[in-house]
Amino acid sequence: MSASYQHSESVPEITDEDFLKFKEFFYRKTGINFELTKRYFVDKRLVERIKATNTENFRGYFALLRFQPSGEELQQLTNLMTVNETYFLREEYQFKCLVNSILPEIVQRKKGRDPIRIWCIPSSSGEEPYSVAMYLQETWPGIADWDVEIISSDIDTNILRRARAGRYSIRSVQHMPAVWLEKYFTGVKNEYQLCDDLRQAVEFTRVNLSEPADTLRYRNFDIIFCRNLLIYFDDLSRKTAAEAFYEVLNPGGYICLGHSESMSRISPLFKVCKFPEAIVYRKALEAR
Amino acid sequence: MAFVKRKAMEPAPADVPKQERSCAELTACLEDSDPQTRRQAAREMLHFPDVSGALVSRLRREQDAAVREVILTTLVRLADPSAAAGMAECLRSEDAALRNEVIEAIGLLSGDVSATLRTLLADSDPDVRIFAVNILDSRRQPDVESWLIEVIEKDVHLNVCATAVDLLCEVGTEAALEPLLRLKVRFVSEVFIQFAANRAIKRIRGV
Repeated sequence: MSASYQHSESVPEITDEDFLKFKEFFYRKTGINFELTKRYFVDKRLVERIKATNTENFRGYFALLRFQPSGEELQQLTNLMTVNETYFLREEYQFKCLVNSILPEIVQRKKGRDPIRIWCIPSSSGEEPYSVAMYLQETWPGIADWDVEIISSDIDTNILRRARAGRYSIRSVQHMPAVWLEKYFTGVKNEYQLCDDLRQAVEFTRVNLSEPADTLRYRNFDIIFCRNLLIYFDDLSRKTAAEAFYEVLNPGGYICLGHSESMSRISPLFKVCKFPEAIVYRKALEAR
Repeated sequence: MAFVKRKAMEPAPADVPKQERSCAELTACLEDSDPQTRRQAAREMLHFPDVSGALVSRLRREQDAAVREVILTTLVRLADPSAAAGMAECLRSEDAALRNEVIEAIGLLSGDVSATLRTLLADSDPDVRIFAVNILDSRRQPDVESWLIEVIEKDVHLNVCATAVDLLCEVGTEAALEPLLRLKVRFVSEVFIQFAANRAIKRIRGV
């Protein structure tokens, strides 16, 4: 067997230089920063896509990523590179905060009968936005008087398809009260299918937070849930995201981050709000 | 009432600018009286070359903190030489808030900013040199110690050296010991330098 034949049959090689080149490109496109500790994770997915696209090596694949007019391959790769681990009612204390502290404050100053607008990003497979809808339905008396719009966005188009489908594993629903599980889901083999009413309560859209044009039409939101996303960003991408949220929110609007995240360390644009159930962040009422 | 899906992807409301505006349009929007319009323009200018000058020009006059924040983030993302030089020039501003914001922003600049730092550390104004040391602090680049050693070996101004010693107290290694001893000799009658250098030496020696 010749050396060249061996080479052509082997796994495409990703050199240190290739990795750095890709890391820089992917960061510019998505705001996601891969440290060296993620090298195995990244290499594995690059190799998978090099094979799937029949490009001969990293160089050819990288050219495809950069110059393909449709951007389809970049989207495919982004779908592979994003982490989508979540479950229903994760960090439930924030939903309690939403119902007990945030919403009463918002409805008090809401003019007319404009709907309350909630944005969940990242959507992941939909557990969070559906949890918000369920929580409001079950625990917020105001749902009888107010219209609510829930929009949920993600950079990963595959995960958005899964979110719209609303089919979940036992692990995803493990923290759900039995009565809610009974009420909103139907058992299908070893999985749970979310009912149509709740699936239709959420609008799913694709958004890249690092791309200003993507968030241009997102305006007039009252509450943003952005939990456990910014931990994957570096300081600059976090700032970019915070500035996007600032544009998206109404004056006096709230943003809820994951328990290990702090807006105060990211940007001075928001003020800390200490509610009994949770610490959240707020755009000043007088802001424009 | 109920859950509704009405506005998520509807056409943009009137106050949202149409997409793909030209560079000239965006530059004009930087002068708009509405801060939201200025912020939006600054965000969108990211995709145009040679806009750092216009952004820096607005930054120096901008009174709205949120607009300044967005301009600075765009400049950091552009990261071209005129963005770095323009931000560095803002260190001469009388506005302390702007200076602090710029120090933090230069700290976030990717790539090699050695040329900018070298220019700032050679500036005739000791305040600018102090800000340059503050930038070294915010960047925490691997070679920060050698920069600080150079400062305490060469700079003639007491406060510049004191700022560098303060940071060396946190990041210094044995390589800084001799330069610190020489600094004490250079400023033998300055009580604060003696105190700060001794503190740094003790911290480095672990005593």
